[in-house]
Amino acid sequence: MSSSAVSLYLDPQIRDWVLFPITLVMILVGILRHYVVLLLQSPPKKLSNEAIREQRALVRSQIIRATSSNSPIPPTFYRSISQHLSQAYADGTFLKDGPPKEGSTPPAAPNPLSDPAAMDGMMSGMKTQMVMMVPQMVIMGWINFFFQGFVLIKLPFPLTLGFKSMLQRGVETPDMDVRWVSSLSWYFLNFFGLNGLYRLILGGENSADGSRDMTTPFAAAAAAPQPPQAQDFNKLFKAERDNLEFAEGLYSWVGQDIENRVLQKYGHSE
Amino acid sequence: MDLTNSLQKLAAYRPQRTPKSKETLEKGIVILQNNGYAKQGDEGWESVEKLALAALDEGNVEVADRCLQLLADKFPGSSRVDVLTGIRMEATESPETALKFYDELLEADPSRAAIWRRKASVLRQMGKLDKSVEELSAMLDTFYTDVEGWLELADTYASCQQYTYALQSLSHALLLAPQNPFHFLVFAETAYLAADIPLSLKMFLVAVDMTDDDDGVVPPRDSIPTALTLRAWYGVKLCTSKLTTEPRAASASASHTPAPTIAILANVDELATERLRTAYLNIKGVSPPSADKELITVLASIIQ
Repeated sequence: MSSSAVSLYLDPQIRDWVLFPITLVMILVGILRHYVVLLLQSPPKKLSNEAIREQRALVRSQIIRATSSNSPIPPTFYRSISQHLSQAYADGTFLKDGPPKEGSTPPAAPNPLSDPAAMDGMMSGMKTQMVMMVPQMVIMGWINFFFQGFVLIKLPFPLTLGFKSMLQRGVETPDMDVRWVSSLSWYFLNFFGLNGLYRLILGGENSADGSRDMTTPFAAAAAAPQPPQAQDFNKLFKAERDNLEFAEGLYSWVGQDIENRVLQKYGHSE
Repeated sequence: MDLTNSLQKLAAYRPQRTPKSKETLEKGIVILQNNGYAKQGDEGWESVEKLALAALDEGNVEVADRCLQLLADKFPGSSRVDVLTGIRMEATESPETALKFYDELLEADPSRAAIWRRKASVLRQMGKLDKSVEELSAMLDTFYTDVEGWLELADTYASCQQYTYALQSLSHALLLAPQNPFHFLVFAETAYLAADIPLSLKMFLVAVDMTDDDDGVVPPRDSIPTALTLRAWYGVKLCTSKLTTEPRAASASASHTPAPTIAILANVDELATERLRTAYLNIKGVSPPSADKELITVLASIIQ
């Protein structure tokens, strides 16, 4: 039954004392969260020389492959660099712990509990999670406790009956339009919507938005530590050898036919 | 200027007395007296660094010290300040002291590329070329993408006539920055010194191809070669004349580069001569001599 003819009249004090305070509190808590996360973030761990070298070893192959079809270097030099790299990948000379010994099992992916570097990454991820979660809980509890039992606002868009139980907690009436909602739904609206405002105030990369964390609560914990530590460089190096071979097939020197090109450019060829 | 760029510049610093450094020094001293740098904000600090380097160029250690003091007070623990301190130490103290300073810094944090490079350049100045080469190679093995480092390594090898290694280092530099014609020029000149004339000829021609203005107003055949293009044409001429006078050079290529056929060689030689004569005429106003040998000698005067 549509209630467009009958509309509720809300006390303006509800607006003053509930609507604005909830919004204000959420904005301020968001900004506070952003700065707390900034303070909690520890600087990235320094890598040893061997680790840096291992990480960048793949880049060397990419550099030589990038220009291979129009390569600046003559064939003998290209081949020697390409073969040297290929051999180094096969022998594992770039690995940070040195080439694998004969007969030893390949190292398993670093166990987060035993590898201190991965542990640090996970801890920092967990810390940010905590900082995000706790204020949410607190605010939700506060709203539920203080602002229950009345409707706060009329939503401009219609909703199905299923939402009634969630959004009208405390004022269960059988035929009040679902568009009248209690303060909890205002909380949810703010929760998902304040992101834009945070972007204005704090700039693009802010940690104040809680809604992003809700979607990836544990994916974030896994993704936060540096991914390269979980990769098996040995396998990557071996795979790169195939790429190097392809590139060698494509190789062509820029100076191959340069005399004729220049002569043509200057109109000297016959 | 962001941190990596500035660190690279500092790592490659060499004291050179130029009129520019003198000018920077004179202007800078005035501002320093009036304490004007404090007012210039972020850019002011970069000027202080430039002033310190200019002062070291000219040998004015006192001004350099004052600048260094200003920077150290403002940015304690900065890596740029560390490298500057090292440079200043190199200017006055014995190389061993500077070396010890760099070693201490590297022990504290072994992954500082700029400090490593300065250490290698100090070793080179001390004459310990093999140690310098060792350090530089180790550093480039870890930090592969440092183009200037590869160029310096090539220079060090070339100074001891180890041209194969020099060419190998230059090929890494070329791979990293193939769009820079200067690297091709250096490669070609090193190949010439290494008596690999066909390779040198091809590389000079590549440099010509890259630097002549074929999208410009005037078509290439009517244009006048300048600067890099001129130098490249000069190199081409040297190679072609060498190949025509010494046919053995054509087959003696260490990199197995095929030499051009006689007909093509003649054409290239003719083209190079014409280009160089045009340039000479344009710069000096008189027509150069026609015989090859005199032409080459006379052209050397217009090449930088």
